[in-house]
Amino acid sequence: MTSLVWRQYRAQAAIASVLLAALAAAIVADGWQIASRWHSALAGCSGNGGCLQQTALVNGVMSDLPYFALIVPAVLGMLWGAPLVASELEARTSDFAWTQSVTRTRWLAVKAGWLLLAAAACGGGVAALTTWWSGPINAQSATAFTPGQFDTQGIVPIGYAVFAMALGIAAGTVARRALPAIAVVLGGFIALRLVVANVLRPHYLAAVTTYFNVTSTFTPPGQAWVLAQGGVSPTGQVVGRGWGDLEPALPAACQRLLPGSPTAKNGASLNAVFSCMQAHGWRGFVTYQPAGRYWPFQGIETGIYVLLAAALIAVTFVVVRRRDA
Amino acid sequence: MSTAVETHELTKRYRRATALTDCTVTVPEGRVCALIGPNGAGKTTLLRILAGLVRPTGGAALVLSGEPRQDPAFLAEIGFLGQEIPLYRRLTAEDHIVAGAHLNPRWDAGHARTRLADLRIPLDQRVGELSGGQRAQVALALTLAKRPRLLLLDEPFAALDPLARRNFLAALTSAVTDAAGGLTVVLSSHLVSDLQRVCDHLILLAGSRVQLAGDIDTLLAEHRVAQRVEDVALEELILTYMGADAESAAHLIATAGEES
Repeated sequence: MTSLVWRQYRAQAAIASVLLAALAAAIVADGWQIASRWHSALAGCSGNGGCLQQTALVNGVMSDLPYFALIVPAVLGMLWGAPLVASELEARTSDFAWTQSVTRTRWLAVKAGWLLLAAAACGGGVAALTTWWSGPINAQSATAFTPGQFDTQGIVPIGYAVFAMALGIAAGTVARRALPAIAVVLGGFIALRLVVANVLRPHYLAAVTTYFNVTSTFTPPGQAWVLAQGGVSPTGQVVGRGWGDLEPALPAACQRLLPGSPTAKNGASLNAVFSCMQAHGWRGFVTYQPAGRYWPFQGIETGIYVLLAAALIAVTFVVVRRRDA
Repeated sequence: MSTAVETHELTKRYRRATALTDCTVTVPEGRVCALIGPNGAGKTTLLRILAGLVRPTGGAALVLSGEPRQDPAFLAEIGFLGQEIPLYRRLTAEDHIVAGAHLNPRWDAGHARTRLADLRIPLDQRVGELSGGQRAQVALALTLAKRPRLLLLDEPFAALDPLARRNFLAALTSAVTDAAGGLTVVLSSHLVSDLQRVCDHLILLAGSRVQLAGDIDTLLAEHRVAQRVEDVALEELILTYMGADAESAAHLIATAGEES
């Protein structure tokens, strides 16, 4: 079976290898520049935090490079996953494949197995490159856990790649045609990514909330993911960070201390406002996922996508075995 | 003599149409059986059920004493060649031959290569770039390389010109001769005159039902007695038994010679 799969896919594998090599070259070349800028900043700023923060690391267009860790999985699912069964049915080559001395189960297991492996390898390869590329940026701004960066680093792109491939295979099998299956991969992958990242991910583990004196500040240590922050009144009223929200909620005594314009930034006056809030029992809060949960979250998210992929592949097996050809 | 194919009230219903109704036929081992009938008579469905590609909704099929099933041992006994000549168009004949060796227990790659070389069909050219006749020959060579005990051919010369058709039939005849009784063939076609040359058994389908089935010589002899005539052609016999569907039968025979 592997012999047939290899013959079917060797041309595509060659093209994909060339394109991925070009992408790798671009990421490595740009990553090297970022790394050298970071190292010279480390040397030049000699421990001055502000100086380090102000160093521009990423060069314009290249800031989008990590998104290939999302694009590559989707494209693989569309171009390889969707036609895997569908194009055989369309071209009737399934008649050839399914009347050799190999059961459909084995045929699908070998074919889907190799392509899922290829997807995982491509997803993992691109993820490894973007993780390395992002290293200095993570060190500078501690944002590896925030949405956008979290999705392009670590191991989650492997989960995305395996899922997109499985979605393509399953959709192509059910629809019997590659084109609608490609649309399903595009729509399904984007939709699931939005739902998981925005609705599920913040709740993988219960978030931590830290309260602090409003006259001071609190920043969660390391590369934490801040979900919400603001002030809490003595009666438990939660107000977000913006002054527009905060002003009407303030006690009258404190409102009087506000500068003429609520948005005007006058350090001295605002300190008076904070002291007033402190005196009236207000507290500041930050709700966040601690930095130490980065890898557990990566594992949970990858697990979700891999489990969904497994379910889709199981459906594919059932359909391929039962369907009339 | 043992039977290669035995069906009992085989029925296949699709959502909107019935493709096969109560089909009960027997094909003895070593025979070359013509499966004749107008378009939509159920020929393709019957062949695909026998190959294990389609599941019947009713009745039973026994192929080489077992039900068609997903089992390497069963699949190894069956050679199937569909109407569309299903080959990977981007792969060469040689690719197919090498892949086939990995997919089948008694693959005769040498025989396939020799046959294609004799026909001057390039092994290293993409199958999609070959002519329809060459492609059909490649597909037949691959199907025969499996060394099947039952060969199921669904209108294999629908797309062939008369010369390619003759070559194809010659290849088929020599395969049956080489197998010395170990190969049974069920072959569907519109082309009664071609079938007459190679077939010794007949199944006539019309409107999803079996109209006539049996040994051709026996059927002709019975018909001669019944009609009290000296001689009778196969075409005439078919016409008679198409019964309700006589119009499409007439069309079948009238176009038999011209179709290519």
